[in-house]
Amino acid sequence: VRIVSTVSRVPRRLRSVAVLAAGAAGVLILAGCASDAPQDTWQPAGDNAQKIQNLQWPVFAIAGVVLVLVAAAVAYAVYRFRDRGQPIPKQTHGKPIVEIGMTILPAVILIGIAIPTVGTIVALAKTDDTECVVNVTGNQWWWEVDYPAQEGCGGVPTPIVTSGQMVIPIETNVLVRGTSRDVIHSWWIPRLNGKKDMVPGRVHNVRLEADEPGIYAGQCTEFCGLSHANMRMEVVALTPEDFETWKANQLAAYTPPEEGTLAAEGEATFITQCSRCHQVDGLVDAEGVPQIAQPELYVWSGAAPNLTNLMTRNTFAGASFDLLTEDCREQVWDAPPDVFGARYLEGVTEECLNAVNLREWLRNAPEKKPMYTDPEDLSETDNKTRGMPYLALSEDQIDQLVAYLLERK
Amino acid sequence: MIPTGSRLLIGAAVLATVAAVLYGITQEGSLGTIGLSAAALALALVAGVNLYTRDVDVSAMDTDAIPESAAARPAPQPSLCPLGAATGATLVVVGLITFPVIFVFGIIALLATTVEWMVQAWSERASADSAYNASLRGRLAHPLEFPILGALAVGTVIYSFSRIMLFLSKTGGPAVFVVIAVLILLGAFLFAYRPTLRGGAIAAVMAIAALGLVTGGIVAALEGERETHAHETTGDLAADGECDVAEETEADDNASQNVAAKANVTAEILLRSDGTLVARNEGLNGDQAMVIVTRNTPTNVLFENQSDEERRLVLDLGTRAEVDEETGDTVPDTGVPNQVCTTLVEDGGSQFLSFSISLPSELAESPYRFVVPGVDGAELEVVVP
Repeated sequence: VRIVSTVSRVPRRLRSVAVLAAGAAGVLILAGCASDAPQDTWQPAGDNAQKIQNLQWPVFAIAGVVLVLVAAAVAYAVYRFRDRGQPIPKQTHGKPIVEIGMTILPAVILIGIAIPTVGTIVALAKTDDTECVVNVTGNQWWWEVDYPAQEGCGGVPTPIVTSGQMVIPIETNVLVRGTSRDVIHSWWIPRLNGKKDMVPGRVHNVRLEADEPGIYAGQCTEFCGLSHANMRMEVVALTPEDFETWKANQLAAYTPPEEGTLAAEGEATFITQCSRCHQVDGLVDAEGVPQIAQPELYVWSGAAPNLTNLMTRNTFAGASFDLLTEDCREQVWDAPPDVFGARYLEGVTEECLNAVNLREWLRNAPEKKPMYTDPEDLSETDNKTRGMPYLALSEDQIDQLVAYLLERK
Repeated sequence: MIPTGSRLLIGAAVLATVAAVLYGITQEGSLGTIGLSAAALALALVAGVNLYTRDVDVSAMDTDAIPESAAARPAPQPSLCPLGAATGATLVVVGLITFPVIFVFGIIALLATTVEWMVQAWSERASADSAYNASLRGRLAHPLEFPILGALAVGTVIYSFSRIMLFLSKTGGPAVFVVIAVLILLGAFLFAYRPTLRGGAIAAVMAIAALGLVTGGIVAALEGERETHAHETTGDLAADGECDVAEETEADDNASQNVAAKANVTAEILLRSDGTLVARNEGLNGDQAMVIVTRNTPTNVLFENQSDEERRLVLDLGTRAEVDEETGDTVPDTGVPNQVCTTLVEDGGSQFLSFSISLPSELAESPYRFVVPGVDGAELEVVVP
């Protein structure tokens, strides 16, 4: 009886393991079917990503067939020749036909994969058809985006500097020229192209092209320190007309808040508390002296996000947090292509401002996003922070700053 | 009863624990404490395993040893270990009051000879059979001895070679080593084609060669390295604000030949044969009359000299600001040019220029620009947003 029970317990255990494994595999497979997956590499939204898609499907199919064949052969061999107490068969060495065949077949498969792979790599490295150049610079833990003066992008007379969100015109070959100020980061918008490491001292190129207006999400894919997981970025594609509107807005002169308003008090607070690191183009103090940020004195990477047109973006702090409330965010992100541009260009209105996020950030940034800002732990970085420090702002100051920043668009 | 081996390990674990505590209290830094604590833990673990398995109680396993009395066992072999350990201890004491390097050598000698001594003493008491004891010692000690002695031998050869190479003149060095290489080759041929040669003769030749090498190395180390010509670099020129000088500055000619780096510059700066200076940025069509550089970002540009003469590229950043050491105030304009420059680049040649600009153009006292000394009009604006 004992023997019988022992034998029957083993299959039951195996069955449990098999059920668990099948369940885990099922969950994994189902996760791949998510429709709301903004970083899905299998949903290309532009010419470059489509080239990758055209390559990865057949490679995936061939690899799948090879996997099934090999797994089936192994399973057959394991079952058919399992140990049943039979004598060990005669051992033979070498089978030239099989050996040659098993060498040639993988070689043919690899050559078949290599030819389109090389073609795709060459196509994705092209730069001579560029119609718009955008620079991105990685910092711990956010991306700076700047548009150098150029005839491309419909003409950029003076450089535009922004962060977190890169705005591009649709159906335009955009060349992203990326580098980094501190450590190696990796820039990746899965629906528009592959990933590319951004290395200090080097400029690496990525081609982008989006077929339709919309927001395309991505995140840093090279571990870059404490808040690597919170280093996100978005590419916003607009129609050429909407892009011109966006550009004109970015290049517009600074509009100071009306005197006597809360925002005007916020401007003064911004000058005393924020402008040493954050640039707002056109900002002058009470004596008319231009306020030029000098983040290199306080921040290890030597830069902090430019806040000139903060409220034209949907996110802040390395695109980690929404500037829009959930309802307003859905209205923009889920907008049909024909109305997306208009909704995006509205920017952040008072009704749509996610004041909770912004206030929490101003109240204690390191608590909201892990950063190296503890004054007692900065000896290795020459007392410079990596990220935004705790500023001990009063609630009144936070109110003033929120009012001031809300007008930055 | 606790077996002898376990007692030894327990004692060592206690010693390491005490050392860890003492080190932690008396010395700065945590590395030593961590190392000693780890050693204490490891020793305690091994002692525990020994106690549990009683594998050091040789007499329990070796049936031949049981009837043997201690008096019947052979006397211990003569050993140099006491001398080595005493020398090591002396060096430790001397090193403590003279030079740290002597202290380190003392510690190494003390540890090595103590371990060797312990293994030897333990193996000699393993059984009544001397041959068996010797093989037991070999099994325990050889896996440690051979790699360490091999590494020491290789290290000595490499160090001696390097000293001799650095001592010999730049032209004499290759000649000497060609001769040595030929001798080695001939010797190898001789040994290979004359298998009847006595092993002793080969060993003698090898020993003489090794002795010569080590002796040469010691002599060369005492004589010191040959004089090396001091190169004036572009960094020296920039520090002195003399990037405008026309003399050649030495640098690595191959520094800019790195394919990956060449493919990833911010811009190419071209000095045309007509004396114009233009920039080319990947993605931007045609020649640019301006270079836009991201603020506070390590930046590389590649200077290509397409003129007929040797020229250098200079990044003119105005004048240098310095902090007055006495007052601590920043002197914004010291009058010393703030420059970064390449070496003189031959016609048709190219070279990198690496820099980072912290202040935006808006704050600069004068516009940032690339210039080529000696070529009028060869100027290119640099804009830092």
